[in-house]
Amino acid sequence: MKRLTVDELSLEGQPGAFAGTLMNSSADLVTRVCAGDAEAFRLIFERYSRPVISFIFDMVNDRSLAEELAQETFVRAFRAIRTMRRETKLSTWLFGIARNVARESLRARARAGNHLHLADKAVMDLSDDKPVPVEGVLNKELNDLIRRSLAALDEDKRMVFTLKVLHQCSYEEIAEITGFSIAKLKTDLHRARAEMRRRIGSYAGVGYEV
Amino acid sequence: MKSEVDLELLQEYLDGDAGAEEELFARYDREIAVPDELWAGIEKRIVPVRESGTGQAAVRWWMGIAAGFALSFGFGSFLLLSHKSESIVALKLPEGSPVVVQRQKLTEEPVTQIKRTNKPIHADRTTDNPGVLSLDVGLDLDEQETAKHIEQTENLLRSIRNVPVSDSDDEVDVSYDKALSRRLLIENVVLRRDAEMKAKFPTKTLLADLEPFLIDIANLPDRAKPEDLRAIKERVQKTEIVAALVDYQDRGTDKR
Repeated sequence: MKRLTVDELSLEGQPGAFAGTLMNSSADLVTRVCAGDAEAFRLIFERYSRPVISFIFDMVNDRSLAEELAQETFVRAFRAIRTMRRETKLSTWLFGIARNVARESLRARARAGNHLHLADKAVMDLSDDKPVPVEGVLNKELNDLIRRSLAALDEDKRMVFTLKVLHQCSYEEIAEITGFSIAKLKTDLHRARAEMRRRIGSYAGVGYEV
Repeated sequence: MKSEVDLELLQEYLDGDAGAEEELFARYDREIAVPDELWAGIEKRIVPVRESGTGQAAVRWWMGIAAGFALSFGFGSFLLLSHKSESIVALKLPEGSPVVVQRQKLTEEPVTQIKRTNKPIHADRTTDNPGVLSLDVGLDLDEQETAKHIEQTENLLRSIRNVPVSDSDDEVDVSYDKALSRRLLIENVVLRRDAEMKAKFPTKTLLADLEPFLIDIANLPDRAKPEDLRAIKERVQKTEIVAALVDYQDRGTDKR
């Protein structure tokens, strides 16, 4: 299944999935929402809901929570859309809000003592010798492995890795979303990649250990 | 046994091949679907905002202003009452003459207040860092109050730090600083509890660090002994609390 990237989803300068929105650039939509056009905000939602939910899911590793937080993200976006600067990319701005919402949720969960304990053992459990003959099953297993490996990264690394590798944002965009310096982003990404390789390596059983 | 193709891809990925990484993660399917109820939920929440958003914002704004006035009035009254007896002397004149209320001068020389020349907290709001958005709507009477409080406290501590003290002085007049410190102490307690309740832990910690200084200054006599004052000055310098306050304010400015 082909993954949708942020650029593809932005539809700017390329044909998109929503025929009715082709003539609506993100900037136009924002202008229309500011002028009180609720339909324009629905189009923004249709355009960005999937990447936003995906990003939040990558951060919180809980599907229903991701949906709930995506709802909060779009409500906040609607309320604050007049404060958005014209030169800011809508996707970057939305990811920024989603990042705040996800972080608040993670903090609240941590304060409540409800830590996620996904972890190394679960990842290691995948590196068994059970036969996995069908590629579909293997892909499912891979999905699970990637999800668990991501969840085992610390929050900053997970965010940077997710935005760069899974959502293919540029360093500049990630810096705008996270508020981190480019140097920190590069360091975090390097470490996150190494950690992901190490974890996924245990699955392949080729000399990498978790 | 795993599929040959996937093992090969994995091997390439593990060897650091960027293309393999892209392909591998392109296979990552979170099985995310956007449920119809999601938009319905959003719509439900934004419709009242659309209808009454401006009105609510205006009401909130006016309520904030009213609360600010009430708070200022309360502090003002408290200060006035607490110093009435020592600072105001009513002179009774013969009947028929107007009553004159004279304000006694408490200090020989006015205490120098150092004004920060940094840009104001909200002056440079040029970045669109989405990091502020979680609190952005109606930003944020609490934060403004805290920022103002921190700035006033910083001025007080600078003022204390810069008071010239020599062994030849018998006493140093710190009545103004003492009165200010009492007011700031009360404010500090309120803001600290508020920050704690709202889980603003860095703010809470900073305010908690400030409190001992404010208590010590508030407990000084109007004419303090040089050694008492020197002890506070040294602690202000040693703990670099003023730098911490400046840093906090600068971070607040950057954030905006």
